[in-house]
Amino acid sequence: MTPTSPPALDPAFVPDATVVVDDVSVWFGQKVALSELSCSFGPGVTGLLGPNGAGKTTLMRAMCGLIPPRRGHVTVLGHDPRGHRDVQSRVALVPEEDAVPEALTARQLVRYSATLNGVTDAGAVERSLAEVSLTDVADRRLGGFSKGMRQRAKVAAALVTDPEVLVLDEPLNGADPVQRVALIELFQQLGAAGRTVVVSSHVLHEVERLAARIIVVVHGRLAAAGDHRSIRDAMSDRPRRVLLRSDDDRRLATGLLGLDQVVAVELGEGGVTISTGNAGELALALPNLSRQVGVRLREVRALDASLDSVFADLTNR
Amino acid sequence: MTAPAALRPTGSPLRRLPALVAYVPRACLPRRRLAVLALPCATILASGLLARAVDDRAVRAFTDVAGLGIFGLAMPLGTLVIGDAVLGAEVRSGTLSFTWLTPVRFWELALARWLGGWLVALCTLVPSAALAAVLAGASSLVGPVVVATAASAAAHIALFVLIGALTRRAAVWSLAIVFVIERLLGAVLSGIAQLSPSWQGQAAFVGIGDVTGVRARSGIPEGWDAVVRLGLLTVVWLAVATFGLRRLQLTGARD
Repeated sequence: MTPTSPPALDPAFVPDATVVVDDVSVWFGQKVALSELSCSFGPGVTGLLGPNGAGKTTLMRAMCGLIPPRRGHVTVLGHDPRGHRDVQSRVALVPEEDAVPEALTARQLVRYSATLNGVTDAGAVERSLAEVSLTDVADRRLGGFSKGMRQRAKVAAALVTDPEVLVLDEPLNGADPVQRVALIELFQQLGAAGRTVVVSSHVLHEVERLAARIIVVVHGRLAAAGDHRSIRDAMSDRPRRVLLRSDDDRRLATGLLGLDQVVAVELGEGGVTISTGNAGELALALPNLSRQVGVRLREVRALDASLDSVFADLTNR
Repeated sequence: MTAPAALRPTGSPLRRLPALVAYVPRACLPRRRLAVLALPCATILASGLLARAVDDRAVRAFTDVAGLGIFGLAMPLGTLVIGDAVLGAEVRSGTLSFTWLTPVRFWELALARWLGGWLVALCTLVPSAALAAVLAGASSLVGPVVVATAASAAAHIALFVLIGALTRRAAVWSLAIVFVIERLLGAVLSGIAQLSPSWQGQAAFVGIGDVTGVRARSGIPEGWDAVVRLGLLTVVWLAVATFGLRRLQLTGARD
């Protein structure tokens, strides 16, 4: 059965897709991991954003063929990644899990990957290790590696096959700041070279740095897609609750009622809790307001600013 | 929808197989698991020493003790330690994806994991059994015990590879199959004993050793017929394991 062509202007799809996810559902027993999710990925870096447990890992595993969709289809370079074994030589996954063959050295792992994928270039192993700065410790066992080093070893094992599609599940976990920058640059170079790079993260600003295009998955569904500006706009436009504490909460509450950005005001013992439809404009208006009403602000705290709540709101839109 | 892309050649299975087999002792059997494997090896050696203490002819005593100690206990446990390590443990830990996400065919994967595991058994369990025969003073049974343990190890490891390809709880299922189905049910039902590497291994040993007055379990082939039966079981279980690998879901550890 041939997957249907996606709508041309939908931001979840790209015209030159190398990976097509078509109406995919995956469930494990009673737990629905992915629900009727459709999107596509093409050359360049695409960020896959979502809170923990959103289904990012399941989507990535389905894209690589590790998990068969219960419904729908995944095609990679036009092939079913589960049915066509040769397509695996052009796809590489860096799993999030810490699990590595601990008794192997980094060099052995990369060489193993190279051999199984039919890589004949003798220098490929050393180049891959050098790209992730592991040359010096390449003969140490993976069991003695830190989480960040293990991630880099897995990236090296993926890069050695020169994959057309590179799927990276939270690849920056455990990496120190220097390595983080180096890995981001590496992924961007691969994307610029025409590789399809899909990087997952639950940290918005991290994905923003990495990818021009972002796909947001929440509760196994596609919540949003587009460039980082449109994703951020979608997040900042949502109503938020903010707690304000001052030396005179009653007077502050009265003043807040006059602000256009404020939807509701609630005066309590712990301070003033407000709902706002535009957190950005409120932040600019608050200093003026405090001067006007003559109160000193002691604390301004978003009550629901966690990414999870933002994602939850996106799905309820 | 993009047209299917042409895929580059991925090398021949002959080139991949040595790497796949070498991976087993290097990566699947870390020191901790090898230490556990020392236990069944010690049990096999203890069986040899125990046979010395039996007040009977050395050959007959070793045949009796080996029947229970080696084929009924140590070989199933030893091959379970190896057989679970080569596939089931990798599925559970998530490290199988390093092999699964390559162009390796499923039959290559099943064959290589079995072969790697069997080679480990040939280097650990089988020499222990040969040494046990010597310790028991039954040197004439070294040949039979080597053939029988090698054949039963081959079938057992193939069975555990099959279980690893079918279920995530491979170790639990393997233990249940060995002790509940093979030993308990196999003791009373010939149909199960005919498919049991433990009973078949014992029958191969007794038949090839041809010790006067000792008979294997009734209702199953003996001697070389049992070895052939074990070979057939190995092939069938590996073939089914290949289909199991095709259907395997490599979910994350949290799924």
